[in-house]
Amino acid sequence: MKTVFRLILLAVLVALGVWLWFVLFPSPEKIIRQRLTELARTASFSSNEGNLARLAAAQSLAGFFATNVEVDINVPGRVRHTLVGRDEIQQAALGARERLSGLKVTFPDINITVAPDKQSALADLTVEASVSGEGDSIVQEMKITFQQTDGHWLIMRVETVRTLS
Amino acid sequence: MPRWLRIAVIGRNPKVTLVRAAVLAVLCFVIFKFVLLHIRVEGISMLPAYQDGSTHFVNRLAYLWHEPRRGDVVGIRFSAAVTNPPVSILQAANRLEPPHIMLLKRIIGLPGETVAFANGQVLINGEELDEPYEKLACDWNLPPEKLGPDEYFAVGDNRSMPPEYHMFGRCRRDQIVGKAIQ
Repeated sequence: MKTVFRLILLAVLVALGVWLWFVLFPSPEKIIRQRLTELARTASFSSNEGNLARLAAAQSLAGFFATNVEVDINVPGRVRHTLVGRDEIQQAALGARERLSGLKVTFPDINITVAPDKQSALADLTVEASVSGEGDSIVQEMKITFQQTDGHWLIMRVETVRTLS
Repeated sequence: MPRWLRIAVIGRNPKVTLVRAAVLAVLCFVIFKFVLLHIRVEGISMLPAYQDGSTHFVNRLAYLWHEPRRGDVVGIRFSAAVTNPPVSILQAANRLEPPHIMLLKRIIGLPGETVAFANGQVLINGEELDEPYEKLACDWNLPPEKLGPDEYFAVGDNRSMPPEYHMFGRCRRDQIVGKAIQ
């Protein structure tokens, strides 16, 4: 009985150790998933935002991107948008927050491929965005390229993907 | 509690009933989580067969024994399916997880075929395709497109809007999640 108890205790300790290892040293994929969740949360907003809060949120959103980021939004039937650099992202985010009454962004399906050198990664994901007051949500497939810079995973490139070509 | 009621509720042998309930619960979880995916249609691209807001199921096992057929309504994943082997437990678990958002479209073109639209009529290898499910007027004109060996041509039933406002075109086999059950 004592041996069984010891074995169970050992198994629990090993499981706890493995869990702790994954918590303390998360894989790049897990870190990127967390970054994307934070990005979606930061990009979402409600109508009752003050000017200072808007500016802070736009700055916070820009912080997810590299200084030389490129964003290429090309959706059939809509005007193509290209943004280059963190400042343009910040301006666009600020503009959206002033223009729209509210926005909810989620990334429901994410596939991440980390490069063998673990310095860059590609996230192929679905973006779902719903604007307050509008019935249907916007769904778009996107590719996001991440680069590890000074220990942080920053977004280098964002591009839309035509799901059906 | 009277005996007949106890038997009706928990059975003759409570242990067996408990095991049966547990097995049933696990089966339901597996089936509705991984096999029959519950979907809610958003939008009008599959009118009139699939109404906006209606709910259906997508059967992920439908194409286990045969490939998608012309006329099948299928769920198509947005984010590309990754085909290389998973390198971590997290990645493997993520692969098992079905997509949360899908496109619902009808397969009209099969691998290797040439698909075109002439005055709203679909042409497969130059021959007119009979489409009883298409009830709304369509005037699309699109040049012939040859599909690759692994490609299907998917389009919605409602083609009453200009083609640039309708999401349609070729998809790879690995993008097809399963067959929709009406």
